[in-house]
Amino acid sequence: MVMKSSVEEDEAGWGLGIPEKMKNNANWVDITQDFRGACKELNLGELLHDKLFGLFEAMSAIEMMDPKMDAGMIGNQVNRKVLNFQQAVKDGVIRVRDLSLPELIGIMDTCFCCLITWLEGHSLAQTVFTCLYVHNPDLIEDPAMKAFALGILKICDIAREKVNKAAVFEEEDFQAMTYGFKMANNVTDLRVTGMLKDVEDDLQRRVKSTRSRQGEQRDPVVEMEHQQCLALFSRIRFTRLLLTALIAFTKKETSSVSEAQKLMTQTADLLPAIHSTLHHGVQAQNDTSKGDHPIMMGFEPLVNQRLLPPTFPRYAKIIRREEMVCYFSKLIDRIKTVCEVINTTHLHGILDFFCEFSEQSPCVLSRSLLQTTFLMDSKKVLGSHLMHDMIKDALRGFVSPPVLSPKCCLYNNHQAKDYIDSFITHCSRPFCSLIQIHGHNRARQRDKLGHILEEFATLQDEAEKVDAALHSLLLKLEPQRQHLACLGTWVLYHSLRIMIHYLLSGFELELYSMHEYYYIYWYLSEFLYAWLMSTLSRADSSQMAEERITEELQRRGSSKKTKKKKKTRPLSREITMSQAYQNMCAGMYKTMIALDMDGKVRKPQFELDSEQVRYEHRFAPFNSVVTPPPVHYIQFKEMSDLKKYTPPPQSADLYLAASKHFQQAKLILENVPSPDPEVNRILKVAKPNIVVMKLLAGGHKKETKVLPQFDFSAHKYFPVVKII
Amino acid sequence: MAAMNEENGTAVYNAVEASGPSLARQKLENLLNKSMRIRMTDGRTLVGLFLCTDRDCNVILGSAQEFLKSTDSFSQGEPRVLGLAMIPGHHVVSIEVESDSLLSPRVI
Repeated sequence: MVMKSSVEEDEAGWGLGIPEKMKNNANWVDITQDFRGACKELNLGELLHDKLFGLFEAMSAIEMMDPKMDAGMIGNQVNRKVLNFQQAVKDGVIRVRDLSLPELIGIMDTCFCCLITWLEGHSLAQTVFTCLYVHNPDLIEDPAMKAFALGILKICDIAREKVNKAAVFEEEDFQAMTYGFKMANNVTDLRVTGMLKDVEDDLQRRVKSTRSRQGEQRDPVVEMEHQQCLALFSRIRFTRLLLTALIAFTKKETSSVSEAQKLMTQTADLLPAIHSTLHHGVQAQNDTSKGDHPIMMGFEPLVNQRLLPPTFPRYAKIIRREEMVCYFSKLIDRIKTVCEVINTTHLHGILDFFCEFSEQSPCVLSRSLLQTTFLMDSKKVLGSHLMHDMIKDALRGFVSPPVLSPKCCLYNNHQAKDYIDSFITHCSRPFCSLIQIHGHNRARQRDKLGHILEEFATLQDEAEKVDAALHSLLLKLEPQRQHLACLGTWVLYHSLRIMIHYLLSGFELELYSMHEYYYIYWYLSEFLYAWLMSTLSRADSSQMAEERITEELQRRGSSKKTKKKKKTRPLSREITMSQAYQNMCAGMYKTMIALDMDGKVRKPQFELDSEQVRYEHRFAPFNSVVTPPPVHYIQFKEMSDLKKYTPPPQSADLYLAASKHFQQAKLILENVPSPDPEVNRILKVAKPNIVVMKLLAGGHKKETKVLPQFDFSAHKYFPVVKII
Repeated sequence: MAAMNEENGTAVYNAVEASGPSLARQKLENLLNKSMRIRMTDGRTLVGLFLCTDRDCNVILGSAQEFLKSTDSFSQGEPRVLGLAMIPGHHVVSIEVESDSLLSPRVI
């Protein structure tokens, strides 16, 4: 019965909802019963379909009435009228003038929450543009609301432009679509900040006039007004400062970055005032009885529901106001950190800066700001340095190649110059890409690092050729000097770093199963870190050779015997750290082997794959690299075979060996001058592991069948082993 | 019109019963790639090409467009493009096809 009545109702209203073409030949015939009857004749599981349409196509259909897939569903389930801005104003649901202070505060706070939700990857249509006021600020008569709406739009617009330009986002990070909304493009940035400033000054006057005077009896109404004015003032000022800071980032000069940093500090100072006045704003009216969103004056969560593409995150959960302040304070901290990049001018320092920044998993806006600050346009780095010069400096600092030393005859040799210049030009792109990769989110980085190895392999090849050519040139001109594997060492160093980063990030992303740990740590300790250390020491000796020559030249010039200064080698810290990492990896490798011997590693039932398939998959990106050559599974099995030792070590021997490795790592790290947080983090893993390994070597809980636990909370690459 | 439809419906339904499952299948196959209008339990109507169905009357429409019920403030004649959409059988309220698609040759 219900069915029938709904059909009749349908007949009545159809003309309105259907386009012209459909209406003309709208000789629709109801076949419901017929169709259902015919369907029943089909077999269970049988699909009736065209030849060209199969199960595969059927899979990609969106499912109607599934709240996860059907964006149109929610809009149809609420029992209220969804009005757009003009309609809402006409119907008197919202006002464009005479907004009370609590209303303004509430609307602004909700807007901030929407802004953050957008920055966290939701669409503008479901966040900022659920605020009806920003749909058309021209219609707003209230000066504070108008300036604020324009300010928010400008902030969104600049943020969007920055993120788009930096291109370090993926669909899971950011939605750049504006759905045809105007982002206050008819008003200049300056005009908007000016309007905000005017409102701010007005409010400041009101704050001052309502301030309590000494000896005066305080009128609670005035006191309330004072508080609320102050709250609104903080919000308007916050908006203005944030906008001004973002505008500063769009300027080309480096000085504007430090200006932005100052502005961010001022912005942060306002946060306590905003936090303490959250309660002054009107709160959302909750009628969530039907799974509806909380409704806030001036907001209509469903206003844009029809604009959303069919397959879409159907429901954006807007963050709460308390979290908003906290998020802003973290965002401001991140942006302040970004500003510090201008103090680093050395390429390796910058790479480290990007790596470190990325380790905190920063938001897409701060990542993008870092990218655009670093590479304002394609040639200039940090607005002033050329990428070319930066690479030259990095080479000088790392291996001191004779060709880049003014004391060497190659320095002014045209041919040599051509070689080195074209090499450096070719370096520019891979290094820019590498820096860009570090701007992506952590999961995407890994994938991209795997791909960039190909580019570094090509670069490696060229570096070796240029080295050989320069060496033969140098032999003719200055037979006592060498130019062997200078550029090659430098490129190799970066390739190795990428490979190590690639493998280690798998731990952070929790990609590896426990039974895979042993070959990953083996590859790192026996192979990659070993290569890294030999590369570093080759670079170090190349530096020393160059220094000796320079010293000799000086001594000859001044004939005075220069005092031999004991200088710390520039690369010594990195060599030390690599040793520590290598020991940690070796310790983990031996631990895993021994645990396996004791039957404490759960192995999967390999049915469709095998360990070899997994191994090859894990190290697949390394196949594109020539130096270091990839270690194939068969080689790995041979190299790691314990039977080649007589007598073959038992699990107790291996635990003891592992303990020694952790001990060694601890020793190395404890002697690092001025330890950074990373040193302490590794120590936090090494120390307990020494003890656990010693216990295990002594036969502690040997019989227990409970699997050990690996706790990565102290360090993301090395776990604390726990035996229960 | 409604009365006529129902009469039409029952007539065909009887015919299906009379001549067994193969005719039912033929009948559905004749509808493939024809325009179809499906009303759902929440009042929305989808118009698209009929591509696939099964025993539970789950229907897949291609190039589907979504129309809201006319009482809604948003149905200013603007359909929303959905593309490939599956309507679960238990959410199907009514199915309609254009009259001429029923006239297509039937296998006897």
